[in-house]
Amino acid sequence: MNTKLFNVSSSPHIRNKLTTGSVMFDVVLALLPATVFGVYRYGLRALLIIVTSILSAVVTEFIFDLIAKKKNTVADGSAVVTGLLLALSLPPTVPLFIPYLGSFFAILFVKCCFGGLGKNFMNPALAGRCFLLISFGGIMTDFAVDGMSGATPLAAMKAGEVINVADTYLGFAPSVIGGSALALIIGGLFLWLSGGITFEIPAACIVAFTAFMALFGGQGFDVPFLLAHLCGGGILMGAFFMATDPVTSPVTSSGQLMFGAVVGILAALFRTNGTAADSVSYAIILGNLLVPFIDKISVPKPTGYRGEDPKGKKTGFPKAALNLCIITLVAGLALSSVFMLTKDAIEEQQMAANAASYQEVCPDAESFSYDDTLTAAVEALGGEVYGEQYGRTYINEIVVGNAADGSVAGYVISATSSDGFEGNITVSVGISPDGTVNGISFTELNETAGMGMLCGEDAFKGQFSGVNTDAFILNKSGSSTADNEIDTVSGASTSSGAVVNAVNTALDFFAANVK
Amino acid sequence: MSNKTFRGGVHPEGHKEISKTQPVEVFLPKGDMVYPLNQHIGKPAKPVVKKGDKVLAGQLIAEADGFVSANIVSSCSGTVKAIEERYVASGAKAMSIVIDNDGEFTLAPGIGEERDPEGLSNEEILDAIQMAGIVGMGGAGFPARVKLAPKDPDSIEYIIANGSECEPYITCDDQLMQKEAHAIVGAIKLLMQLFPNAVGVVAIEDNKPDAIATMQGVCNNEKGISVLPVKAKYPEGGERSLIGVVTGRQLRFGQLPAELGCVVCNVSTLNAIYRAACKNEPLMERLFTVSGDAVANPRTMSVKIGTSCAELLEAAGGIKAGCEAAKVLSGGPMMGIAMPSLDVPVCKNNNAMTVMSKDEVELAEKKMTACIRCGRCGHVCPLGLVPQMMAEAAERGDYERYEKKLYGLDCIACGTCTYICPAKRPLMQLFKQTKAAIMAAKRR
Repeated sequence: MNTKLFNVSSSPHIRNKLTTGSVMFDVVLALLPATVFGVYRYGLRALLIIVTSILSAVVTEFIFDLIAKKKNTVADGSAVVTGLLLALSLPPTVPLFIPYLGSFFAILFVKCCFGGLGKNFMNPALAGRCFLLISFGGIMTDFAVDGMSGATPLAAMKAGEVINVADTYLGFAPSVIGGSALALIIGGLFLWLSGGITFEIPAACIVAFTAFMALFGGQGFDVPFLLAHLCGGGILMGAFFMATDPVTSPVTSSGQLMFGAVVGILAALFRTNGTAADSVSYAIILGNLLVPFIDKISVPKPTGYRGEDPKGKKTGFPKAALNLCIITLVAGLALSSVFMLTKDAIEEQQMAANAASYQEVCPDAESFSYDDTLTAAVEALGGEVYGEQYGRTYINEIVVGNAADGSVAGYVISATSSDGFEGNITVSVGISPDGTVNGISFTELNETAGMGMLCGEDAFKGQFSGVNTDAFILNKSGSSTADNEIDTVSGASTSSGAVVNAVNTALDFFAANVK
Repeated sequence: MSNKTFRGGVHPEGHKEISKTQPVEVFLPKGDMVYPLNQHIGKPAKPVVKKGDKVLAGQLIAEADGFVSANIVSSCSGTVKAIEERYVASGAKAMSIVIDNDGEFTLAPGIGEERDPEGLSNEEILDAIQMAGIVGMGGAGFPARVKLAPKDPDSIEYIIANGSECEPYITCDDQLMQKEAHAIVGAIKLLMQLFPNAVGVVAIEDNKPDAIATMQGVCNNEKGISVLPVKAKYPEGGERSLIGVVTGRQLRFGQLPAELGCVVCNVSTLNAIYRAACKNEPLMERLFTVSGDAVANPRTMSVKIGTSCAELLEAAGGIKAGCEAAKVLSGGPMMGIAMPSLDVPVCKNNNAMTVMSKDEVELAEKKMTACIRCGRCGHVCPLGLVPQMMAEAAERGDYERYEKKLYGLDCIACGTCTYICPAKRPLMQLFKQTKAAIMAAKRR
């Protein structure tokens, strides 16, 4: 009699070769084209950023597991994916503490603190990126490499420039390290064909995004415009690699369709109406928050319960499709109404801020009023760039300051330069009737903290007061002698130059229309 | 165009070539024969012999106790040695009749008498099935007499002969269809007599071209019987999947196929029905595959019911040299039961025994990691369930959601989700436990 005892366990007794580690490895493989291109395009610097980010992610998880006395989970490879994804979504110019800090935040606060792999409710890489965007806005949006213009294609397009879509598509336009659309598409297709991701999320996301951009993007169904938006700004990386993160996306097919559509619409909404430097990242992490709800409403009916005629074919409108339509409609409406409501409030605040600013630069005025002739002169400019010599500057409005005795106390001209380091700088220039500058004040200044923002300090803006000149001159050496020379803010010549140009535009306008 | 199939499913490696190329031989056991009284779903049979009785092959030794039960006949000649508890494949003990096999296999009188299938009445067919103790031989073990007597025989529109055999390693149905095509078709014709409004469909996975050709050759001459090649995919042979593929109708939990106008029989069962009705042969033997990567000479044999698995492994050359056997399965690797020892008998509903080497077992026992919610389990579930959510609900103890919202009781325990899971989570085990807990609470 054979008395040898064998192992017993529940069936099935064979398993697929797939493991969590191999699933993660496939993602890394799929990101390889974008990674290789990034390193090729931006050199050693990009490689250093990538390595730092991955190391920081892995080491953070390792140490957390050690301290928390948890089973070590580094081997599942998910930290590597997080680190790589974060690095690829960074500009190639960032200092190395940025990827280090981002990965640290992503792994520790977003992943480990919520229970590790599978428990985080938000994509760690994206949360890390958003953390960096909010904390280090200037560094995170600086794409200037090798002396080339730092404006990303989308920023340039927003400013009215014609851009080269092919450059964006291939990845030669200023962008994040993993910014080659072609490489991302290759990786995404590989991931889909190898079963790493399903088509639902990327497809729904891209379709919804494109549809929204075509409807509300302001350019209609303009193919180059839509292509530029699809290739730039991270929508492809988001759709293929970020939104498809299994942990933070819905489980079922119908849920994934809903999720993809929500992300696509949010991304397009943020891009068309938002003021933040990024749209896709915020769209996806907001979508992540909706996942438990989407999971709840997207449980499919198993076979036998789908309204099949017991003796024949399927009947009934698929409930999932209906859910999808409703959820996207409601989300879209809710968001646009929030935008509409806040838009008015923002404008009101803007007006109040303007009034205070006008008073500051024209202190003798009792009240301000518009002069029809002057307003017509502003309108005649048609919102176009004022003159090539000042870069991209615009005249917004001119108001007349009325003294208590009814005489003209002075004029205030609001002028904007789009050549600031971080975008627009709007300045109110107060000018007395004889053409002397009373002072300047900023109504829009979002420059880098500690650098460009110093333009708002009296030390800089005081230099304009009490000077009567045709034009100010920027002195970069910091040792001005003449009244009309303006010392640049140390390390922020871009911002300083933009301010001087805006003021000179105002003076030019004043000379042409008031004097 | 590819063959019909269901949504979902997986493609485990088949490993069928190692046994199906070997000729089918009759194996005559030498040791004691063991007949558990509960080889079927329903009430255990009642012994009609006692210790010391002499029995002949084909003689009734235990009779059906009630409606849902089945007869048991001896498959050897010899003396009743004991009626006692013996181990069965699940590791549990079951009351069994043990017969000291004299090695002669002397047949009881009348066994093997040919009868003209054309001249049988419906009653005679059903009686023969009842006498022969036939149960579902694909694994379920549901008494055939009960399955073939639905309330309204006229409502049956499909007789589905299940020759899919989607489990890896097992080839006995494949080889049976090549060997006994006429008997299988003969049995379908008997069933068509019982169900006058039905057509016969032989569903065979397209990885068995020889069986498809042989069956097609026989069916060509038969009106109302056709062969349907279906895509080779696990679990194509599951009753719910197969009914869906053949008819487009979808069974629910608790529904019998007859409610949707279907009767599904494994081809082995059909072979037994034909022999019982037309040759007066009760269910004494069946084709049985002994395979697995640890077996020296994997093969399918014609095996007497009650034969010890230890003897069969020996007949297949024993354990391969240099190999360590780690798991012995009653059945195949997807749904088979791991047996604690080899000292268990072959029952009517056992179609195979798979011996896995230590290497293969270790390969399957990778470390479990956290669920990453990838949803692969839902994509492969043949019923369209969402195992990820079921597992969450089950682990939370939320049986209400498990049953009502997630339809967890519909789970057929095919193990597809567990097979695919990259995190190696024991989903099916959890589902079996949860289902048992819910059903137990319902009975209370």
